[in-house]
Amino acid sequence: MGETLLSVGIDIGTTTTQLVFSRLLVENAAGAFSVPQFAITGKELLYRSPVRFTPLLSERLVDTQALRSMIAGEYAAAGYRREQIQTGAVIITGETARKENARQVLSALSGFAGDFVVATAGPALESLLAGKGAGAEALCRRENRPVMNLDIGGGTTNLALFQEGAATRTGCLNVGGRLVKLSPEGRLLYCSPVLRPYTNYQPGELLPPEERQRLGDFLAEILEKALEGEPIPPGFVTDRVLPAPREALLSFSGGVAQLMQELPEEPLAYGDLGAYLARAILRSGLCRRDYRLAPESIRATVLGAGSHATALSGSTIFYRGISFPLKNLPVAALPPEALQLSGPLLAEEIRRRLGLFDREQAVLSLRGTKAPGFGELCRLADGIALGAEDALREGKALILALEADYAKALGQALGLLLPGPQPILCADGLALSEGSYLDIGSPIAGGQALPVVIKTLAFQA
Amino acid sequence: MDREELKRLVAQLLQERAPEKELPGEDLTQVELRKLYLVEQPKNPEAFLRLKAKTPARLGMGRAGTRYRTQTLLRFRADHAAAQDSVFSQVPEDFPKANGLLGLQTLCKEKEEYLTRPDLGRRFSQETGNLIREVFAGQRILLVVGDGLSANAITENAMDCLQAIRQGLKAKNLETGQPIFVRYCRVGASDHLGELTGCELVCLLVGERPGLVTNASMSAYLTYKPHLGTEESERTVISNIHSQGIAPVEAGAHIAAVIGQILQKKKSGVAFAGEAGQ
Repeated sequence: MGETLLSVGIDIGTTTTQLVFSRLLVENAAGAFSVPQFAITGKELLYRSPVRFTPLLSERLVDTQALRSMIAGEYAAAGYRREQIQTGAVIITGETARKENARQVLSALSGFAGDFVVATAGPALESLLAGKGAGAEALCRRENRPVMNLDIGGGTTNLALFQEGAATRTGCLNVGGRLVKLSPEGRLLYCSPVLRPYTNYQPGELLPPEERQRLGDFLAEILEKALEGEPIPPGFVTDRVLPAPREALLSFSGGVAQLMQELPEEPLAYGDLGAYLARAILRSGLCRRDYRLAPESIRATVLGAGSHATALSGSTIFYRGISFPLKNLPVAALPPEALQLSGPLLAEEIRRRLGLFDREQAVLSLRGTKAPGFGELCRLADGIALGAEDALREGKALILALEADYAKALGQALGLLLPGPQPILCADGLALSEGSYLDIGSPIAGGQALPVVIKTLAFQA
Repeated sequence: MDREELKRLVAQLLQERAPEKELPGEDLTQVELRKLYLVEQPKNPEAFLRLKAKTPARLGMGRAGTRYRTQTLLRFRADHAAAQDSVFSQVPEDFPKANGLLGLQTLCKEKEEYLTRPDLGRRFSQETGNLIREVFAGQRILLVVGDGLSANAITENAMDCLQAIRQGLKAKNLETGQPIFVRYCRVGASDHLGELTGCELVCLLVGERPGLVTNASMSAYLTYKPHLGTEESERTVISNIHSQGIAPVEAGAHIAAVIGQILQKKKSGVAFAGEAGQ
């Protein structure tokens, strides 16, 4: 018996906005005589929108109204209603994320797109989703070697390194095809501030083809240097540089990778440097390494948001009195050594960590040991119940995310210690790091598992 | 040849016969198999170890000609011996008392008989039957721990699991009374217990037949209205409960939830699974 989740992905990028609908298949992967273990076992792409230009009001503002009607149009074209959408993510990427109204656009659209459509942003998450959508993670698992994905878009290049089957590092550079915008006859319409010091041409002037290619070559060289671990001008670093290990396979995605697949006959077709950058990369040292072009290159990020953002919690969980979905919960991570503390000290540590999130509802995350004894479990529950007193008194819920598989037992113990109506949620199979955010959707599989979106803001080195 | 010289000679001989370097020191069952990779001149040992981490199977053990290497063979025999030992080992005499369980015994008089006469491991004597009736008549749920084929499974896991079950049932306001320990217990003992008490459900935690992977795995058999003649298909089973499988406390919480569902649907086993979609 399979259950499905209808998921939407929306990517609002520097140059283009796209949307996909996909269906995630959820099945019990455990045997008939075992404790259930639900997992996402399949992903089916149902609908891809055309790739459209992101509507802007000015260089600093996104046109929310136009974006909204564009998305409403896609829902209608695909034949889905907002109420049918069970999960998904809206991501605002590249230079668009730096527009003045980015945050408002994001929250407005996520609500507009569905109840549990999660708003995501940030270079780390963007890189991660693009890498997964490009198939770099799957490739890393299949080939058993490190894979570095470069999602080269209009404004930024998102780097994600996958090692041993999982993302280990991300980085982001201000390198993209649309740092320069050109008129059909090749006149310079706009030059991004990062690139301005490197050309003598002014807006309005005709940019000759040699100069366009020179700028493309220059950007490709920045990428190559960054991957080799050589210094690059700081203006081109969005958040951090990420060198590619020697043995890593390079995977290219994004709009520029699409152009690498097939260089357009008319290089000014998109009114930017994309084609010149694509050609430059193909001729650069990057393509003398092992590389491949991602199958869904320009759609990598939107596929990542639609098909790879959602994960499932473990399947033995506990919750009561929770109104789903829970959005944007900051993570208060309890260090593993805290579990060694005696009850009152553990409680104090928990109180302190939850106290850092003043008025916000936080999620307390802990790794936990593999198979705790019942006594150990009860001591932990005592400490947590005591430590969460303040938060519960303020009307917050007690939300716990464990990595080890004993959330149901812990939740059950907490439920008895806190017999009142206090809302409690205890889920496992979740590895969260401090500084991440968690979104939790309505329970599925007969209430046995929770769809979640983990928003990692940074990977630890 | 004097004594000292003899000593030196023996020491020298022992030295020459020193075991292969790769052999671990004391107890070879203590080496973690998932981290052991013995293939010579491997192309990518890290990748193989990542695969090995996902399975307890004895992969990547290398070979000596067409045979196992010494270490592999010895480990195999050690694990096999541990499994056999586990079958013959006994749950300590004071286990029931120390854990607040009522200690009972089936018709089997000793281990040998238990292993050779499965039928006797499913029945109680007249006298024991009377006691069971006296203590448990009218009780809705019986929680039972049985040694089954692995004493280790019980001593290591049963109490953590049992306490979590009781806690879960308490939260549902389901009374359980005193749990029972049955020595020389087969799964079918549930049926006689049901027959004697007329209870609605028996939850039996029992040691699984030990294997080469673990000798401490425990299963829970849940039978709705057990009676003499209950079919095996009428039992709901949750297996693989041990420290390297499903954590005993988590299994306990899950079992408590399943007990609640079984009581609600008034059926267990295949019919229950069909309805519960499990």
